[in-house]
Amino acid sequence: MFDGLRNFITKIKPNFVEGGKFAWLQSTFEAFETFAFTPNTVTHRGSHVRDAVDMKRAMITVVIALLPALLFGMWNVGYQTSLTAEWWPYEQGSAASWWYCLWFGFLRMLPLIVVSYLVGLGIEFMFAQIRHHEVNEGYLVTGLIIPMIVPVTTPLWQLALAVAFAVVLGKEVFGGSGMNFLNPALVARAFLFFSYPTHMSGDSVWIAADLWGSDAIAGATPLGELAAGSMPTASALDMLIGTIPGSTCETSVIAILLGALVLLVSGIASWRIMLSVVLGGGLMGLLFNCIGANAYMQVPFYYHYLLGGFMFGAVFMATDPVTSAQTNVGKWIYGLLIGAFAVLLRVLNPAYPEGMMLSILLMNSFAPLIDHCVVARNIGRRAKRAARKEVA
Amino acid sequence: MIKIKKGLDLPITGAAERRISYARDISFYAVRPTDYVGLVPRLLVAEGERVSAGDALMCDKNDERVRFVAPVSGVVKAVVRGEKRKLLAVVVEREGRENAEREIIENGHTSVTDRPSKDETAATANFQLSTFNSQLLKEAMLQQGLWPMLRQRPFGTVANPDDMPKAIVVSCFDSAPLAPDYDFALQGREQDLCKGLEALASLGAGCLYVCFRPGQRLAGVVGQYSPLHRNDVKVVFVEGPHPAGNIGTQIAQLCPINKGERVWTMTPQDVAVLGHWVETGEYRPERVIAVAGPQAKNPQYYRIVAGACVEHIVRSQLLNPDYPALKMADESLKQVRVVSGNVLSGEKIAFDGFIGAYDSLLTLLPEGDYYDFMGWLLPGLKKHSFSRTFLSGFMPEWKGLNLKFDTNRHGDVRSFVFTGNFERVFPFDIYPLQLIKACIVGDMELQEKLGIYEVEPEDFALCEYIDVSKTDIQPIIREALEKLRKEEA
Repeated sequence: MFDGLRNFITKIKPNFVEGGKFAWLQSTFEAFETFAFTPNTVTHRGSHVRDAVDMKRAMITVVIALLPALLFGMWNVGYQTSLTAEWWPYEQGSAASWWYCLWFGFLRMLPLIVVSYLVGLGIEFMFAQIRHHEVNEGYLVTGLIIPMIVPVTTPLWQLALAVAFAVVLGKEVFGGSGMNFLNPALVARAFLFFSYPTHMSGDSVWIAADLWGSDAIAGATPLGELAAGSMPTASALDMLIGTIPGSTCETSVIAILLGALVLLVSGIASWRIMLSVVLGGGLMGLLFNCIGANAYMQVPFYYHYLLGGFMFGAVFMATDPVTSAQTNVGKWIYGLLIGAFAVLLRVLNPAYPEGMMLSILLMNSFAPLIDHCVVARNIGRRAKRAARKEVA
Repeated sequence: MIKIKKGLDLPITGAAERRISYARDISFYAVRPTDYVGLVPRLLVAEGERVSAGDALMCDKNDERVRFVAPVSGVVKAVVRGEKRKLLAVVVEREGRENAEREIIENGHTSVTDRPSKDETAATANFQLSTFNSQLLKEAMLQQGLWPMLRQRPFGTVANPDDMPKAIVVSCFDSAPLAPDYDFALQGREQDLCKGLEALASLGAGCLYVCFRPGQRLAGVVGQYSPLHRNDVKVVFVEGPHPAGNIGTQIAQLCPINKGERVWTMTPQDVAVLGHWVETGEYRPERVIAVAGPQAKNPQYYRIVAGACVEHIVRSQLLNPDYPALKMADESLKQVRVVSGNVLSGEKIAFDGFIGAYDSLLTLLPEGDYYDFMGWLLPGLKKHSFSRTFLSGFMPEWKGLNLKFDTNRHGDVRSFVFTGNFERVFPFDIYPLQLIKACIVGDMELQEKLGIYEVEPEDFALCEYIDVSKTDIQPIIREALEKLRKEEA
């Protein structure tokens, strides 16, 4: 069967290369061809053997790491609706209701995911074709993350606009995946946040009212409650498991940690960044605990891990290798500052309930500077060694 | 004792068994200018001319004292030229009887041909090391054509006889995949090795560092050789995964190179050739090579003469019981990649090509010219990866897995995305990704600041291996180094 497919591809390939009928689809064809078959290219220069991992494998590993959070998020979308919606057809707590939660969430998430991939990949394919490049795999991850970090009621046209903005201005203008300096998924989130604040924050965007449309049931997120000056009604355990309102797939710390495990074991994401973000947030939380001037400052420091998008950001967004610091020392500094700023923004800035997004974007833009300083130290060390030799 | 922690050993199958045979039926030997980085050769012989072993075939155009000599006596069969008449190889067809390798090596050249006595030249005179001064030794080595065995860092070129290096480093072990074990390969030539090291020490070129793996037999032999008991000779033990045996790794630990400094190096086999020559006055470019790799049916060691054509060895190694090897169609030879050197930094040669001037390993790899259905998605039990993105990475023992190594690139070229991996296989106080990028953009000042003089392309071989973006890193480093070298000249 594979041979048949391979022969078919080989047969139609001439149509898609330079001079063929469909040469304008070359990048698209290549993308699908290499999707089905890892190409038969052999090494010419340099090392004769190569590691089996490639960009596709690496990106698919990240997608796999996202799956626990995605599945839980789908279920939780349904669950939140089931708690309050009067039309919910099944009895609370029954097995049927549990499955219907998942189904409902799936149906709600599907359009978001489809729109994100269609718009994003469409633009990626276009740019690839214009530049005669291959289509980059980076968007496989970005395109999944974007629907996972927006409220479930986000109108599809807004999502489409945000995706287009993020892919074009967040990535392609710099030359595509690997060249951008801001995390494209967060650019999309920031675009939504600043362009349509009423759809992105407040108490009535987090819980879908029905299967279609952007109507929402009122329900505050724990983060929103804290920003309003009261303690969260949800227990720490609920927040750990994730049965709270919030952006679609960022609520469950446990599911996110499962993803973190995949990323760390496979070596795809940097443990330094994850650990340092958590440390940075914890330290800042402890500092506020010591000051304790208001209710928010008195919240136990570990609550910050359970609230909002902190863990999702630490595991999946801060670790984006392109936009994070690239040196190992730089990664520690970068991560610590992300964690610290995220908590600082949450506690001290009343305008933005969640500080993670802005904190990561801020440090994205500082990452090159951090690296520059770290590398400068290495350069200095080498210069000193040379100078010492000359004196001797 | 130096401990290297960063690195990676590739579990490739087909390591050479501890068995040495004389290579048979080899009749062609070549000296190839392309083996020497940046060499501009001047040809000294013409096709059809008769040469004796030790006669110069070509010399360095920029320094005619540096001569490259015929490894065997015979007739210049071909002068191979490439584009723009670039000299690629001078091929000598051996004269004499069937089992030439054995005779040459056991009895010396003179028994094979009626080569004229060269006793009048200083090169073959049998001198005592104690009477050497470094200048005399240098001149004799140049005259005899032994000088090109000395290479320099940075740039990897043949050493410049006028330079005064700050050290000479000899790595007596090779940690590369399937590399030969010098304890075995140099068996019986220990005295030559010691003598050669003594000669290097008397070059008066800074400190001589001799590096061994802990527990190496040769270390004991060298350690007991009393002429080497001097302050400027140091025996060093280096432990750890590949690239612990790379000369660059060792230099970085022992005497990192600053701008303008030079370190010289020689392979242990060449040291033994030097030693033999010093001891007996006879030029005997003997070499033991390991022939290994997944495609080698009978991986083992061979005793050859430097520059030998590998065709007969390759054919006999591809021996298929159903086929008499020598009748094997050339088509099936194309399914095999013959690498002179190791799989990470060796050079691809034709199946009837010649072993590289500095190589002691011939690796036979399957070509990877195949499509892999859903290769990015399937579990991948037979695939090796430094990352643990394949199921094979979770198996307790690499060895039992029979992982598949071939020349397939396993993916398309992308821009650099992942970071922090290179550092895990790159035991230098250098930021590899930053240096690579400085080389790509051609910023020479930045390259210098980031330590380009401390590296050679082979030091980046593991980075290139594990690179997710499939960039060819070694050529990038070589090109940058060549630009710097030309700038300096």
